[in-house]
Amino acid sequence: MSGRLVSALVVVSLMLVFSAQVALAQMSDTPNLSINGFGTVGVVHSDEDQADFASNILVPKGAGYTRDWSAEVDSRLGLQLTANLTPRLSSVVQVISEQRYDGTYKPEVEWANVKFDVTPDLSVRVGRMVQSTFMSSEYRKVGYATPWVRPPLEVYRMMPVTNFDGVDVSHRSRFGEFTHTLRGTYGKADARYQGGGTAEARKAMGLSSTLEWGATTLFASYGQYRLTIEELNPFFDYFRLYGPEGEAIADRYDIDDKRFDVISLGARYDPGDWFVMGEWARSDSRSLTGDLRGWHVTSGYRMGAVTPYVTVARASVSSNLSDPGLSVGEWWPPAAELNEVLNHLLETSARQNSLSLGARWDFARNMALTAQYDHIDIDSGSQGILINHQSGFEPGGTVNLFSLALDFVF
Amino acid sequence: MRLTSSILGLLLSLMVGIASAEVVVVVSVQNPVEALSQAELRDIYLGRMNRLPNGSAVTPLDQREGSAAHRTFYREYMAQTPAQIKAHWSRLIFTGRGQPPRSVADDSAMADAVAASPVALGYLDSAYLDSAQVGDRLRVVAID
Repeated sequence: MSGRLVSALVVVSLMLVFSAQVALAQMSDTPNLSINGFGTVGVVHSDEDQADFASNILVPKGAGYTRDWSAEVDSRLGLQLTANLTPRLSSVVQVISEQRYDGTYKPEVEWANVKFDVTPDLSVRVGRMVQSTFMSSEYRKVGYATPWVRPPLEVYRMMPVTNFDGVDVSHRSRFGEFTHTLRGTYGKADARYQGGGTAEARKAMGLSSTLEWGATTLFASYGQYRLTIEELNPFFDYFRLYGPEGEAIADRYDIDDKRFDVISLGARYDPGDWFVMGEWARSDSRSLTGDLRGWHVTSGYRMGAVTPYVTVARASVSSNLSDPGLSVGEWWPPAAELNEVLNHLLETSARQNSLSLGARWDFARNMALTAQYDHIDIDSGSQGILINHQSGFEPGGTVNLFSLALDFVF
Repeated sequence: MRLTSSILGLLLSLMVGIASAEVVVVVSVQNPVEALSQAELRDIYLGRMNRLPNGSAVTPLDQREGSAAHRTFYREYMAQTPAQIKAHWSRLIFTGRGQPPRSVADDSAMADAVAASPVALGYLDSAYLDSAQVGDRLRVVAID
C-alpha cells in the first residue's frame, strides 16, 4: 500500500480531529468529536481437516486444518474517531486490528478521509473509503450491524479488499417517502495476500444506488477496475514461450491489467418483527478468475431479544472450467504440465451451495451473541471457498462449520 | 385473601399504568410544525431526513437509552427495539454517514432542550407535559 499517501491521509484527518477538539471546547452545545468502536470475539469449528475455512481469502490461517477451533476467522477490533470541524466539514479515521495477510494483527487504516458537504444533500470525500460493491459492504466488518456471524462469502468473496484510496461523491434526494442515495467512487487499492504477493487494483470506479422507502431498501451497483497480480506472470510467461498459441492462452488467462466488471443487486424488507434480504452479484473478467456468480437469501424472525435466521447461498462460475491448452502438450511433457496446472486452477474454482442456520441474542445494551451452523456442499471438482488445501483434500464433498461470535459496539 | 386481591389490584394498576404511559412528540412553540406523518418522523429519527417538508432544518433529540420514554417511543412510533436502532446507527457511524441524535437525561431536560431551539424535535411522557406546566413552551406534534 502506498505508505506515504496513507500516512498523509491519517495526519490530515487527525489534525482535523484535534482541531475539532479545540472547537469543541469553544462551543459546547454540539458534540464535535466522537470516539466509537466495534469488535467481534469469535470462534469457528470446521469438520474439514484438510483445508482451512477463513472469512477472507487473503489471510494465511483459518479453521479446520490450522486449528480445529479457530479464533482468527472472525475476531477483530475497530476504533473510530469522527470529528465535525464545521457543520460542513468532517473527518473520519477508523483503524481495524484483525488477521492480516502475514498472520499478524498489526492495526490497519480502514477509513481515513475528509468529507465536505457541498450542500446538505451532496457530499465529497477524499482519502480512504470503503467500497459499496455489495449491499452490506461498507459495514461488513461490523458484526453487530449485520444479522450473521459474517456476510455470506458466496457473494462477498468476490471483493476480498474492502477499502480504496481516492474520491467519493454522494448525493441524497428525497421524493415523497422515498430516499435515494447515489454514490460514485474512483480510486485505487493494493492488497497483500498470504505468501506476500500483492494484488493491485487500478482505475477502480464504482456507482451505487440505494433506495429506501419505509421498511424496504433496494440496492444496485456497478464497479469496474483493472487488476494486476504480478506473481502469476512468470507462470504465463512459460506459455508465451510456445508462440502464438501460447501467447493467446496467456492473454486469455493472465491477471495483468485485466478489466473486472462487477454488478450487484440487493433488496431488504424489514418491517420490525421479521426481515428478509437477498443479494445477487456477478464479477466478470477475461482472466484466470473467470466469470463469478453468487447470491444469497436471508430471513430472520425477531422473538424478543432472540433472532433466529436462515441463509441459503450459492457461488458458481459461468465461464469455462477447462481449456484444451497447448496442443504440443500431447507429446511434450513440459507443455503437458502447464496444461495440467491451468486446468487444475480452472476446475477447482469456488462453486458451492450453503445453508446457514443461526440465532442472534441481543442480551445486553451494546452486545449480541450469535451462533451459526453452516452446511457447505461443494460442487464436484471444486475446492470450495477454502484456503490452505492439503494433499489429502478431496474436491467436492461437504463441510460443516459451527461459529460463535460476540459482537459489540461502543 | 384480601392481601392477595390487593396485590393483584396493585399489579393490575401497575400494568395499566405502564400500558397507558403515552409518549408524545413535541417541538418548541417557536416552531410552526403542527403535524408530521409517521414516515416523516421515522425518517428524521433514522437520519434519512434532516429537513421538514416545509424546508426548514430539524434536529431530533433522544431520551437516554434504557429509559421508559426511549423504549416506548421506538416501539410505538418506529416499531423497532433499542437493539435494532443501535444496529441501524452502527451502520451509519462506522461508514462516516452520521451520528445518532443527541440524547438528554429525562423528560425535564428534553422539555428544556426542545423549548430552547426552534429546530429541535423531541418526545416525552404526556403525563409530564400535563403536570409540569411546560405547555406554554412546547407544542405537541400530531403524528398521523
